Amino acid sequence: MTREETIAHLVDLQRRVRALREASEFPAIERTMQLLEMYCHMARWELGDCVEMIPEVESL
Amino acid sequence: MEGQRFWNPYTQTLPRTELDALHLRKLQALIAYAYARSPMYRKLLDRHRVKPEQIRTMGDFVERVPFIDKKEILDAQAENPPFGEALAIDPEFFLQRFATSGSTGAPLHIPLTYYSSVLWGESWVYFYWDIGLRPRHSFYFAFNWGIFAAFWSAYMGVRRLGGTVVSGGGLDSKARIQQILHYKPDVLVATPTYALYLGEVAREMGVDLHKTSISFVVVAGEPGGSIPSTRQAMEGLWGAKAYELYGIAELGPTNPGCPLQAGVHLCEDWYHALVVDEAGHVVPYGEVGEHIVTSYIQHGQPLIKYRTHDLVRWTDAPCGCGTTWLYYPGGVLGRTDHMIIVKGTNIYPSAVEALLHRVPELSEHYEIHVGRDEANDFVTVKVEARPEARALDYAGIGNRAAHVLRSTIGVGIGVEVQAPGALPRYELKAKRFFDHRPPAHRWQL
Repeated sequence: MTREETIAHLVDLQRRVRALREASEFPAIERTMQLLEMYCHMARWELGDCVEMIPEVESL
Repeated sequence: MEGQRFWNPYTQTLPRTELDALHLRKLQALIAYAYARSPMYRKLLDRHRVKPEQIRTMGDFVERVPFIDKKEILDAQAENPPFGEALAIDPEFFLQRFATSGSTGAPLHIPLTYYSSVLWGESWVYFYWDIGLRPRHSFYFAFNWGIFAAFWSAYMGVRRLGGTVVSGGGLDSKARIQQILHYKPDVLVATPTYALYLGEVAREMGVDLHKTSISFVVVAGEPGGSIPSTRQAMEGLWGAKAYELYGIAELGPTNPGCPLQAGVHLCEDWYHALVVDEAGHVVPYGEVGEHIVTSYIQHGQPLIKYRTHDLVRWTDAPCGCGTTWLYYPGGVLGRTDHMIIVKGTNIYPSAVEALLHRVPELSEHYEIHVGRDEANDFVTVKVEARPEARALDYAGIGNRAAHVLRSTIGVGIGVEVQAPGALPRYELKAKRFFDHRPPAHRWQL
């Protein structure tokens, strides 16, 4: 998979993870999705796709 | 994946121009973040009449964004302790709080978010991976877990890598040697001073360290791992390869050691650096100056163009290890406040240490004393002889060491050879530099 394709997958994954986090009423699931979103953000930065500093303030 | 040479092959081999373009985007995001969230940074940038949107080029960043020093963070923290106006994020996000010792004033408080802790760990993993460590390896931490950041980030790195942690916290040195024999870890994590001290303890216990499971010695916390003689002393003692990571408590693990062992790289995924002269101007690659670091991962307390007061030589020349990340041969060369100028010649404590070890009768235990007469700084080195050297020969050994120093550095340095055990021993960082000069004659950037 190319870098660009990987980034596109990560952006999509991060969007879906965030939606799931916001929709969940289970603290355990919400926290897990929060961490997963954080790791999506980290992976994007490591591929040079830098938008903003932390997932909480990032506009997708 | 096991055989992949780099942890992040994309950025670790990116050409310099592309790395710099990436840095600019990260710096713009960071400055906007700090300006919006940290009252201290908003005031600082307003005072210098800088708005985030004005940083359009790397030149803008270098010329317009002010340096920040530890004192300004301390002042901001003092206004509303413990963190005050330096904070950029609500304390409820903090995972852990660290502090410096405050040995030169008030302690500096260092808040770490969960995300920052993951990224501190990540910064170690480039190093672990590049020197050949993998998730199957186990790491022995000869470290008392406390409020100092110290090796906490190395622990976060092992978690991120997926390795095994063996804690040597709360134990004396003999008990640690027993633990190493019992648990058979692959890696010893310690300061250079303590790695050598622990080796002496093992020798007294009759333990042959070459027969233990340790095959890597990973050091940080003070210079040593990139100084050939000190590294060789550790490797000879432990029968293991020794590697260094250079980090700064306030910033985290900024510089993973090069696998070729002669220096450190800048972890350019998460840090940006400049090297500047006394006037604050960026020095060309190849030159020595003060290390100025910007962290992209201190979300709780951003640090932009932070003055480390560490002296480094930087270069963008291709490194034999294959990475394009900036390289600092010899690691940290000294502190700006440990800088010695004798008759116009700059002397770095690390260079003195390296040269002393060219005299085989001398040990790794030494002190550098700097004084001043009417016109010049002068330097005296106190160094212990090895046990096998005869006391009658100390004067001759000292003369040979002084000759090595004079012929290499170009100025006279007195050498006093002392008996084994005459100098104090330290368990963490050694105090090796003693400055007896009047404050006005200490070199300051």
